[in-house]
Amino acid sequence: MSAQYGGPAGEASNYEYVTARVSARRASLFDEDDYRKLVRMGTGEIARFMEETEYGREMNALGARYSGVDLIEYALNRNLAKHFNDLLRWATGEAYDYIARYLRKFDAWNVKTALRGIYSEAGADAIRSDYIRAGEFDDDLLEQLAVADSVEAAIETLEQTIFADALREAYDDYEETNLLVPLENAVDRVFFEDIDEGLPSRVQADRATELYIEFITAEIDFSNVRNALRLARSGADMDPAAYFIDGGRLFDAEELRQLVGNRDQLVEHIRESIYGDDLAEALTELEESDDIVRFENVLDAALLAFADRLANRYPPSVCSVLSYILAKEREVDNIRAIARGREADLAPEEIETELVML
Amino acid sequence: MIPETLAPLFVVLQENVAAAPAIPEGDFQLGMAALAVGLAAFGAGYAERGIGAAAVGAVAEDDDMFGRGLILTVIPETLVILALVVVFLTL
Repeated sequence: MSAQYGGPAGEASNYEYVTARVSARRASLFDEDDYRKLVRMGTGEIARFMEETEYGREMNALGARYSGVDLIEYALNRNLAKHFNDLLRWATGEAYDYIARYLRKFDAWNVKTALRGIYSEAGADAIRSDYIRAGEFDDDLLEQLAVADSVEAAIETLEQTIFADALREAYDDYEETNLLVPLENAVDRVFFEDIDEGLPSRVQADRATELYIEFITAEIDFSNVRNALRLARSGADMDPAAYFIDGGRLFDAEELRQLVGNRDQLVEHIRESIYGDDLAEALTELEESDDIVRFENVLDAALLAFADRLANRYPPSVCSVLSYILAKEREVDNIRAIARGREADLAPEEIETELVML
Repeated sequence: MIPETLAPLFVVLQENVAAAPAIPEGDFQLGMAALAVGLAAFGAGYAERGIGAAAVGAVAEDDDMFGRGLILTVIPETLVILALVVVFLTL
């Protein structure tokens, strides 16, 4: 499949159709009861449970090749890709354009997967099975990436894509430090910079576009918050501006640099921003427990709740699709966390703290 | 949007009446009545467009939605029925 920009020009969006289908699928995602059941199962039981749900087809298709947690993980990825390709199949016009832009997230994911795989010499097979084929890259390109024998070769393979320039720039950094972080950051930044490229500004936009921009802005802001807190916590001597994603409205690069040095100020800054109410719970959690993983989970939940609220306020818009994409991703992350947690013999209570739930 | 595009039509119709009775009085009333039903049907059609698309989407996900989807889709037809009632009452 391939997601191209623009879609058929001038065609009207079919938000009603897409929203109805997406809402039905959103409603059939696992709920808290399912998760509560899952965290008490062994990996074999989880696999059986999933066979009876909507992951059945993928579980059966992959069952011959993989087993145990790997089977669950690959089935999850494949199911995710199937659903997101469905979204593109349904949507027309403007709606298609927005969804395709957002799904480029998975191009970024695939590039990062390939780079990490090559870096850690995991082998082409491992890379291939970790791909989520929901983005714009076609199978040929992904295949070439998987078999590339060095990071440099992989970057050359990406010559024709939007990631090329940023990756080439970041490559020197990578050679210096021998860390993947600069390259991964470059990929993330390209994705977020590209996502609102060419959209009308907030003032001129019609309601659907405005909501789309609002959602993207929130997502960028939340990523910045996450990065800032990680940096503040690690105390590493890195330039926060290098990790800053442009386009948010929470802070600019300069503010971020100052705030990373002082975590209390950073928390205070977020509390007073427009996201203060949404994140109040997360911030209190952070101040009390100082547990950044927990905070990030609450942050994810807050973003999901934000998307749901947008979708609720303006149903026939791209927001319901975005909220579905987020919710589906959360589900897949949660199931993966449960399966991996059970494999490592973690207690159910421990796993539950790792889950993102509304 | 619709009233604006149709406004010139009314003006033309009114002018016709005022200037010369090209259309006999009775026929004119009949014409306006037909227009009223037509506009109501257009409105119903426009409303059904969105509902129908959503209903087909819902049915595609879950077959049991067919009955409910069908009922919701035809609800705007009441617009046409009301227009017919008005036409019958006034003619």
